Amino acid sequence: MISISMLSLILGIALLITGIFAMLTRKNLIRIVIGFSIADTGTHIIIVSLGYLRGRTAPIIDRAVNAADAVQKVVDPIPSALVLTAIVIGLAVTAVMLSFVVEMYRKNRSLSIDDYQELKW
Amino acid sequence: MVSPIYILILSLAAGFLLSIIDRGGRKISLAVFYGVLAFNTALIIDWTYRFVFLHAPTLVINTAGFSAPVSINLELGMIQAFVLVFTNLTGLLAAVFLFRKFMESKVSSLILYLLLVMSVNGLVMTRDLFNMFVFLEILSISTYALTTITRTKTSLSAGFKYMMAGSVASIFFLMGVVFVYHFTGNLNLDFIHADQFAGTGLVALFMLTMAVFIELKPFPANGWALDVYQSVDSGIVSVIAVINSAAIGFVFYRLIPLMPQSFLTVFGAAGVITFFFSNMMGLKQKNAKRLLGYSSIGHMGLLMASIVFTIGAPSTVRYLIIGGFFVNHLVAKAGLFWLSGIVRQENIRGWAVLKNNRLLLVLFGVFIFALSGFPPFAGFWAKWEFVKVLIESRMFFVLGAVLTGSLFELIFLFRWLTITVKEDETQLEKITTPDSGSVFATSVFALLATVVAAGVMKYFYNFGWVQTLPAAAALIVYLLDFLPSKLKGFVSLGAVAAYGYYIYPLLESNLQLFFGVIFIVGSAINIISTLNRKNQNRGFYGFLLMMIFSFGNLLIASTYLEFFLSWEFMTISSFLLILRGQKAQRASLLYMIFSTAGAYLLMTGFSFAPALTSTSALMLSIEFVKLPLISVIVLAIGFMIKAGSVGVHIWLPEAHAEAEADVSSFISAILLKAGVLGLLMVAISCIAHAPSFPVFYWIGWIGVITALVGAFMASFQEDAKRLLAYSSMSQVGYVVAALAMITHLGWVSALYLAFNHMMFKSALFIAIAGVYYRTHTRKMYEMGGLISRMPWSYMTVLISIIAVSGVPPLSGFGAKWLIYTAFITKGWYLQAGVLFFASAVSFLYLYRLIHAIFLGQLKSEHQEIKEAPAWFIIPQYIFLAGIMVLSMFPNLMIRPLNSIAMHYFNSSISIEGLTVVSDLGYWNGNFVMHITMAIFAVPFVVLLLLRGKTQRVKQFNIVYAAERPESPETTHVAYNMYAHYRKALGGWASPRIENFWNGVAEWSHTLGDFFRRVYTGNGQTYILHIIMYIVAIYVVMGVK
Amino acid sequence: MIKYLAVIVSVVGLGMIFLPIVTGFHEAEQLSPLAAQYVEGSINDLETQNVVTSVIVTYRGLDTLGEVTVLFLATVGVGLLLKGTQEDRLLMPFSELLETTSSVLVAMIMVLGIYIFSHGHLTPGGGFQGGVVIASGFLLLLLASSGTKINHLVLNLVESVSGAAYVGIGAAGLVLAVGFLSPEILPLGDFGRLLSAGAIPVIYSLIGLKVGSELTSILVTMGGE
Repeated sequence: MISISMLSLILGIALLITGIFAMLTRKNLIRIVIGFSIADTGTHIIIVSLGYLRGRTAPIIDRAVNAADAVQKVVDPIPSALVLTAIVIGLAVTAVMLSFVVEMYRKNRSLSIDDYQELKW
Repeated sequence: MVSPIYILILSLAAGFLLSIIDRGGRKISLAVFYGVLAFNTALIIDWTYRFVFLHAPTLVINTAGFSAPVSINLELGMIQAFVLVFTNLTGLLAAVFLFRKFMESKVSSLILYLLLVMSVNGLVMTRDLFNMFVFLEILSISTYALTTITRTKTSLSAGFKYMMAGSVASIFFLMGVVFVYHFTGNLNLDFIHADQFAGTGLVALFMLTMAVFIELKPFPANGWALDVYQSVDSGIVSVIAVINSAAIGFVFYRLIPLMPQSFLTVFGAAGVITFFFSNMMGLKQKNAKRLLGYSSIGHMGLLMASIVFTIGAPSTVRYLIIGGFFVNHLVAKAGLFWLSGIVRQENIRGWAVLKNNRLLLVLFGVFIFALSGFPPFAGFWAKWEFVKVLIESRMFFVLGAVLTGSLFELIFLFRWLTITVKEDETQLEKITTPDSGSVFATSVFALLATVVAAGVMKYFYNFGWVQTLPAAAALIVYLLDFLPSKLKGFVSLGAVAAYGYYIYPLLESNLQLFFGVIFIVGSAINIISTLNRKNQNRGFYGFLLMMIFSFGNLLIASTYLEFFLSWEFMTISSFLLILRGQKAQRASLLYMIFSTAGAYLLMTGFSFAPALTSTSALMLSIEFVKLPLISVIVLAIGFMIKAGSVGVHIWLPEAHAEAEADVSSFISAILLKAGVLGLLMVAISCIAHAPSFPVFYWIGWIGVITALVGAFMASFQEDAKRLLAYSSMSQVGYVVAALAMITHLGWVSALYLAFNHMMFKSALFIAIAGVYYRTHTRKMYEMGGLISRMPWSYMTVLISIIAVSGVPPLSGFGAKWLIYTAFITKGWYLQAGVLFFASAVSFLYLYRLIHAIFLGQLKSEHQEIKEAPAWFIIPQYIFLAGIMVLSMFPNLMIRPLNSIAMHYFNSSISIEGLTVVSDLGYWNGNFVMHITMAIFAVPFVVLLLLRGKTQRVKQFNIVYAAERPESPETTHVAYNMYAHYRKALGGWASPRIENFWNGVAEWSHTLGDFFRRVYTGNGQTYILHIIMYIVAIYVVMGVK
Repeated sequence: MIKYLAVIVSVVGLGMIFLPIVTGFHEAEQLSPLAAQYVEGSINDLETQNVVTSVIVTYRGLDTLGEVTVLFLATVGVGLLLKGTQEDRLLMPFSELLETTSSVLVAMIMVLGIYIFSHGHLTPGGGFQGGVVIASGFLLLLLASSGTKINHLVLNLVESVSGAAYVGIGAAGLVLAVGFLSPEILPLGDFGRLLSAGAIPVIYSLIGLKVGSELTSILVTMGGE
């Protein structure tokens, strides 16, 4: 039987590749940014799925988890910590990217990436 | 002793608060901003001092009160400090450069900039992979935003492409980090080891390293970077090209210990490929900043290759190579990008405006020389050591690609430099007075390049002051360049004399002394002709002294490196002297390209050579060195380029013709002898250790053919200096052929001819310089009959051509006699025959020279012309006196030459009084002289008695058959004088060799143009390149 | 056409790169030693219930400081990029019902946000989550009430001061405790209390304020004021 972490790993990878596919094929700048966002989300899912341990709970020591045998009861806290950072960074990058798009549109009135290739060779 | 974590603390605090502080006025926020940047730099300099001079141990800083791997730790050691010193300094100076920008733009740009520099410090110090990711993102986001600090038409879209590429790379980096954690259970580099990445783990490592590698802009997945370099503000681009690249390059460096061999090989190869292709593509580029972009990308490739391929080398050498390439790229590239911000010209042709600003022009020159890897700058040492390492580890493909790529780079950089110096700038808009901040930053970097150079020479190689003298002399004269030319000329003469006095006791052997006389005494006499120069005459004597001192240093160099260093100094200075010629753009470029190709061959040849065991001069100790065959071949070709041998001679006529008149004599009479010296050294080594293939037999043939081709070519020239140039080529061909015999008599005759050539070619070039000074033309058919106006010059040319042609009684006869004797004793009969034919041909051009210029009708515009100035006449007659003395008493020269050659061979001649006796006969120069004088005296007296009956031929004695032709001088006999011979030669006279080299040039340009079409300009295509590149590298590495 | 082929090749290639990871994947049975150390350390050394919080704020505190910086840079960068050039746009008048409800709702959202970041060491959540909630309150204000003007100076002050205070507390760790960002400058207190875990809740609150103000200012800039 396929485990839930395996499933989410595959899902994450699928999202990642889908996002990159979108970045490679969509002409619209906003869609390209969305593509990045999808790919980024894929990575977040992958991170979380790597930290999962079957049958365990969140790494918070409260009534559900006894302090004494916490190590046996909780999932890996590191990926959870990392994914939080990764999400925030992804958000920041998306914000800057979008403002680029806004400015490019303001300047050139076009959202097609094909209209931005005057620099070459 | 302040902990370096305060760099992060202070920068962050200042960064967070700047927008509030700015409400109190931009001056305050700028003070805080520069204060923090200066604090960071000072702190790192302090730590570097501790590491280097106080041997402080590597500093590890734990955070949060826990040690690694529980918490994130930072590490500051010697290497980190080294990288950070330069990045912080660049950060500070780039900020100075951007001062006006920071004054005018929003406070946001200050914050972004400050945190960008902070993130580089974090990135270099942190030992934690995920923390690296965070700092990398800080770096990226601040850079993305800063690309828009100056909005141009294209900077936004370039920035967006940059973001697309950067975000793909960061996704891979993140995945890599997380999978590394998955496979190793750790994120701290101190706790991760290469053996933890078995099997699937390699995929994790692949993603991590590949992401970093993509950020380093490998070909062809780097189109985005070029667009950024081209369109973004110069100050920010310098930061991207230097600081970002350095930090990311350092991350790559630190991941090296984790990588298996398969990764390393592929990354190294990719680096070399990047270097090669980006330089080739740069050939076609006309946009200055994009050109710098190609060069930057190439240098990052070179840096990666040097990091990977020097793993086996001793660590000090490795640090010198990597550090040298790093510092060189950093300083020169930042400097050039800043200059591009000051110049504000897109097309490289527009850079001619730099001529209006001497300081900027000098800075430009310094950066171009540094970037091309010329001494004394860091890149030179790095390249030298890198070539050695590559040869020791037998990586010949890498070597070939690195050297060819370097040559491509040299071509576009020097094309740029020569165009800047020579292109007409009057049409262009002048540089508006540049910011003092910008100029200051740029100057500091030129100074930094020099200081680093001095440091390497002093602390790494322990060179004495003499080795640096050529460069120092150029620098000192540059500072004194406001003095009048004559004063500088006399001082230079004194300096050369003093230098000669200094090295005289260091010349242990007659051989050194012999070349010492050619190089130092010959130069000193030649300097006299330069005293005719007027006004300040800036930028001449510095380079001249540099060249003369480097000639001398060749003689006392005791290691391969010292020799090569002096050789390169010689190339630089002679190039700059040639460049002074009015139309010398193409000529000097050609000279530079061929010289550098030769220099790379020498570098390769010396690297193949076994280590020296003796500490005496290389010229002497080379006798005991067994050069491997490849080394002999490569060195011989390298030296023959300088000697202008056929096939690689095409720089020679151009350089001689286009250099200033009094510079040509130095090039022909003295510089060519440096090539002879080098070839002689190779031959010396081959006496006892004959190579398995008869290399010198074929060199002999090349010399012979050079003599013949040179003579023919000289006959077909209209330009007097070109004629003399080909004549020099031909004469040096004789010398090379005689050397190649490797016999006693061969060498005596070679050296004898070399010395003679120095004298008569100096005299001839100076005489022609005098004629040119008066007539302002080099075309011989535009002259004629000058005998009556310039009799002194006429006498010089007459005596000299007698000496050249080898007819009795003058010294040339002795030289020819010795050579033919040598050839016949050696058994090279065919060669001797060809040489004899060449001698006959040389009569043609010699006759043409004297006839067309001095005999025949005086042109009407030359009726009132005066004799050449005394400064030209004096050296001519010194040389003439030398020729006469040697003609009368040839044994003055033969005797020492005999003893030089006897050191290597048994003597084959004996000297009895005034007579030289060989197996084939004898020669008494003194006797010949008396006889010939008598023969000449008789008709002279007769003619003198008949003088009354002579009739003057007047201008109108000439009758044209029909109308007066359009350009009457083309009907002159001196125009196309030997057309019939040329016709007789048929297809042989076509310039095949020139066509061949033109073809090579055209092909490389076309190829470069073909490859750069991958950069379509479409951001999406660039991403596609990146993904495909990742997949391709994955397949090539064979990760499973 | 060739381009599509290349895209397909690269996408398939990407899949190929990830394939060995999927096929070779097996779920861990035990925490990695490092993770176990975190869980135990969080309980014993830091008196922090939420292990993720202790990892974020203390053990990997430098990451978090960097993360805050990234967000800050995004704010600054967006500000630099969008130079506040305003576009004409059609503004529909909002209904009174919407405005009234939203102002009530905003107050509740703010309280929730503050709760989330101040209890980050005890319950799920923390500075980032709380900050986002606060920012979402402002977003509601921006979207639902026509006359909303957010005071730039206040926003800027909160953003800067909270950031600087965060760095300052971190630096205080160097002087008063054992290292940069050490939470032990304040007493660790009793496990499970609001005022426990040393400086962690303080830091997390500052992060909450900073993230909230930063996100709000991005929203404000992007909305063209």
